[in-house]
Amino acid sequence: MEETADYKKIWTLCEKIFPILNDFNTPCNDEEPFLKNDFEEMCYFMKLNGLQDLLQHLVFNKIEKRLRDEVVPEFWSNFKKSDKKGFKPFYNAIKSLYDNYRKFETIIIRLELLRQATDIKVNPYNERNLHEALKLILHSCLLGQLQADYQTVTTSFYEAALKIEDIDETNVNAVCVECSEEKDNCNCVHFFQETNRKIGEMGFLEPLVGQTLTNLSYNYILNHIQKTCKDNYDSFISGLEKWLHTVVITCLKKIYYFDSTLSLNESMEMFEKKLVNYLYNSYTKVRIDQLFNIVIEYPESLPALEDIRLCLPRTDLKPLLTKKLQRAMETRLLHPGVSTTDILTAYVATIRSLKVLDPSGLLLETVTYPIHQYLRSREDTVRCVVSSLTEEGPNDLAEELNRAEPVDENTPIDDEDENWESWTPDPVEPNPTKKPSKDVGINRRNVDIISMLVNIYGSKELFVNEYRTLLADRLLSQYTCDTEKEIRYLELLKLRFGDSHLHFCEVMLKDIADSKRINQRIKEDSEYDENNIQLSTMIVSQQFWPPFKEEKLELHDTVLKQMEDFTKAFETLKGSRTLCWKNHLGIVNMEIALNDRTLNLSVSPVHATIIMHFQDKSVWELEELSKVMQCPPTILRRKIGFWLSHGILTEIKTDVFSVQEETESQTVTQEDFYVEEFESESAMASAQDQKEEELQNIWSYINGMLMNLDSLSLERIHHMLKMFAFQGPTTECTQSELKMFLSRKVRERLLIYSNGLYQLPK
Amino acid sequence: MAQNVNPFLEEQSSNAPKDGDILKRPQNDGHAVTKRLHKELMTLMMSADKSISAFPDGENFFSWIGTITGPKDSVYENLKFKLSFHFPNSYPYTAPIVKFITPCFHPNVDTSGNICLDILKDKWSALYDVRTVLLSIQALLGEPNVDSPLNALAAETWSKKDEYKKHVMGTYKDV
Repeated sequence: MEETADYKKIWTLCEKIFPILNDFNTPCNDEEPFLKNDFEEMCYFMKLNGLQDLLQHLVFNKIEKRLRDEVVPEFWSNFKKSDKKGFKPFYNAIKSLYDNYRKFETIIIRLELLRQATDIKVNPYNERNLHEALKLILHSCLLGQLQADYQTVTTSFYEAALKIEDIDETNVNAVCVECSEEKDNCNCVHFFQETNRKIGEMGFLEPLVGQTLTNLSYNYILNHIQKTCKDNYDSFISGLEKWLHTVVITCLKKIYYFDSTLSLNESMEMFEKKLVNYLYNSYTKVRIDQLFNIVIEYPESLPALEDIRLCLPRTDLKPLLTKKLQRAMETRLLHPGVSTTDILTAYVATIRSLKVLDPSGLLLETVTYPIHQYLRSREDTVRCVVSSLTEEGPNDLAEELNRAEPVDENTPIDDEDENWESWTPDPVEPNPTKKPSKDVGINRRNVDIISMLVNIYGSKELFVNEYRTLLADRLLSQYTCDTEKEIRYLELLKLRFGDSHLHFCEVMLKDIADSKRINQRIKEDSEYDENNIQLSTMIVSQQFWPPFKEEKLELHDTVLKQMEDFTKAFETLKGSRTLCWKNHLGIVNMEIALNDRTLNLSVSPVHATIIMHFQDKSVWELEELSKVMQCPPTILRRKIGFWLSHGILTEIKTDVFSVQEETESQTVTQEDFYVEEFESESAMASAQDQKEEELQNIWSYINGMLMNLDSLSLERIHHMLKMFAFQGPTTECTQSELKMFLSRKVRERLLIYSNGLYQLPK
Repeated sequence: MAQNVNPFLEEQSSNAPKDGDILKRPQNDGHAVTKRLHKELMTLMMSADKSISAFPDGENFFSWIGTITGPKDSVYENLKFKLSFHFPNSYPYTAPIVKFITPCFHPNVDTSGNICLDILKDKWSALYDVRTVLLSIQALLGEPNVDSPLNALAAETWSKKDEYKKHVMGTYKDV
């Protein structure tokens, strides 16, 4: 059989040239001499019989099979080993893979020769050439058998690589972290580059390790940002971008330099975009996490704020910012443990810093909405605002007040003169559902801190009332007639709130000045005889001062006598006017002379009265004294405690006190004394007391209403109260407040509520 | 200055206009009347007396509804009577028109609730107010003037307590 013999001969030739065809041989052997004659003979025969395509196909099949069954599983088996740490596993895996790849390359080269000799047109897998086809097969086999956790190995490899890079920069003399050899003897960098070159040559840098590299870079960037930004509110974004380019991207370039699939510029451009975007995102996120601190540190943190302002348009993090900041405010600021003054300081800082972020004020509105809500629920907010407005020393609000522009109270707050042609709609709200009601939005274009604070309550009156109370308190507790400072603040407040609101306060200040004058005049009066009690009075106009805290106290006769004389003198001086004394207010300077010592003290009238009674009679029972002074025994006991602690009185029996003329020996146990702190109580009825009193008044009206008109709805009660009850500078009661009040009365069984109508119980 | 006027003096002068004033200027100023009624309402609301009470009946200050409880130890004890008040524009220089809303069996009250009481007629003075009118009517319930009756039957039976009480309870309707 001539033909069969020919075929057999040719097949042997083919097997010689492409040893891979023989399953039992080693994949291919470079040493085997390449026989030109054999090759030519084979080519001739193939061409003659048209078998060249078949042969090519056969060879490729064999390559594929070998790759799939042996090379790739072997490669992946490197990844399965329990010890996945460090540099070596990946290096070895790539090394063996690459060796195999080189062998296949030689086959491919022979195939190329075959193609040239026999004019093969068919390209396997429709690739451009055979090398590409080989790469394709390799990739598909590799990825087809991808290990789930292959990234652990790649990650540890590149981590190690990055570590080496880092060490290069920071610590020149150290030993290599991987092989623990001296730097000069270490081949790690060389291994690293070799591996990259091999991967790049095989063309799967991006598919195999692209994700790993991205992840690593991300981590690296994030760590760097966190390290940089920690407790430091300088501007970093430009520095970080530069760092990204000089360190991260350069390092990546070293790796991607070997990528054979794409040009360096192309691949790096993509990577760079990704990384820069990530850098901005992470930086903004880190800053947003710190935003609360940044806000509090304002204005020291201004650079950081500027950074955020720059970054925000490049990211999509505004909603996150709003949410996070609100959350931070709620957990760190808006709880009972924080004093109102601190909340206000934080609030002012927030207003200022968010104005930097978003000049339109929209962000501010959204973020501060919970603060408004919260401050409204705090009772001392107004008081704190007013006191910090007028406080001495460095204070945001006081500064703001000094900076104040005059406000004309007649023009509405709306900027009506704003040119309609230049009007632009508000920017798109970061979170439109949370948009607060319109009334807060009025000041949008003019974020003025004081008006914003006043707007928390929505009424100037409340503020002015609180200021009045505060002013009264201060004037009365000073006991001096120096009102210069107060007048200055009043003028400033007048600029802000308008004259008419502050008329009462003006009268109050005038009263103080008048008191001084009147005192002077009365003392010069020849008919007024100043005995050993010198009176200096503060004469205030009942109608203009806020209500005083009432307390009953009967003064000592000698003082009363003196006061009567003073009243008489006043009446002659001022015609149809008289004085109505507030016995419990004021201060008494007294000198107490005992057998062995003399004391000079400034005390309250109650204390003074107590000790004056002891002047007449050296032993008093609590009950007795309480009757004389018309002061409840419990309170009196507390007041007597003051004298006990000074060692002037002593309790000889339970509830019996006597003067201690001589100091006892020092062995007196100090803890027996009930030391009372110096009282700094307000002389004014507190806002809460006032409110309670008001509600009590309202209750009498409601009672009268329901007694005569039987049953009424909430609306009607509210309406009637508005018509008949509310008058003067009292704060009005809203319908919801009224409802709460009425519900309370229903609970107390003082009211019956049925069918939407309130009734008195029969 | 105004704020230094003795508050006691001021109160007295506003509550007690001199007799001459009444004749001189029977005021027609609605605002002054409202102001006065406002003040009366306030004193009434702040007073602790629970047996009398009155309140404007709705939209304006000129008609009120009052409530009195029958005086203790009288046949009217524990009964509540509603009254209507109507204030003329010339109040307080003219008396308010006061009527019983709750049917009341009483020598000086007729079946349509008109009251025969001197201070509401010729003896009226600007010194009186809603409170004093209510107190007077309350007192009238316990001590009727049987000599000038509007309700003859009531005047006749006044002396016979049991029969009188029956009539009172028969007429009374809780509104």
